[in-house]
Amino acid sequence: MNESELIVQAAAGDSDAFGALVTPHLGLFFNGILRILGNRADAQDALQEALLGIFEDLPSFQARSRFSSWAYKVCINAALMFRRSSARLREDSMDALTGLGEFDGAGHHLDTPAALSWSVAAEALDEAERRQLRECLVQALDQLPDPLRVVFVLKDLEDWSTEAIAARLDQTPPTVRQRLHRARVRVQEALRAHVQGRPA
Amino acid sequence: MKLLPTCREVRERLTDYSEGSLSLRERASLRMHLLLCTACSTFYRGLRALPGVARFLLKPEQPPPAEATQALEGALRRLGGHHR
Repeated sequence: MNESELIVQAAAGDSDAFGALVTPHLGLFFNGILRILGNRADAQDALQEALLGIFEDLPSFQARSRFSSWAYKVCINAALMFRRSSARLREDSMDALTGLGEFDGAGHHLDTPAALSWSVAAEALDEAERRQLRECLVQALDQLPDPLRVVFVLKDLEDWSTEAIAARLDQTPPTVRQRLHRARVRVQEALRAHVQGRPA
Repeated sequence: MKLLPTCREVRERLTDYSEGSLSLRERASLRMHLLLCTACSTFYRGLRALPGVARFLLKPEQPPPAEATQALEGALRRLGGHHR
């Protein structure tokens, strides 16, 4: 059966067809949820809830959009709901804006002016080095306080607008921008230190 | 009054700058600083590159991880061969 036929069968309540329909996208769904929750066990629980939600809502799926895109949005919403109900939100050290670099007393940088951008150096990495950089990124995201990580994920990985994030998280746009900036600076510092071989 | 912001002030406001949420005056002075300061413009390039690099590095795992497969198995069990 092709995807359209699987959608029809699954929407009629055929759980086997539903399994076949979502299996090719499980990695995508899990990845998106994991980025928001930062914990594989929580991501597994949230994905299970999301899959049940997809099954329930499938009769209302409009074929105007791709199934994977529609279902992915359901997964992201499920992750945000799961996060909201979790009592493990980490607020620690949210106020410290670290990773900006070192400055003299007048507020001017002490960096080497000609330092090569880490992002340019990252383009030259081979496959094994990229895997290490991925691990570094995953670790950096995991170490972000939850309110910073969720904003970074929604904005920079999921491409939500600042206004949409603010509305979804019940924050003001300036707060979203501030948290996004703190997250970006911390993540960039981790990647820069990794690429340039210096501790973050 | 300072003509140009310091490096610290610039680096604290680069997301506001990229989002267009600064006043015209703030934006102009920050832009001028970036034109004159190699270190801050390098820092800004890194911030701008970050989403693309992160999306590239975080491509979904293939095959899907065991947790994803187990989540599907759990969902199918809860559906219990359910038919609408």
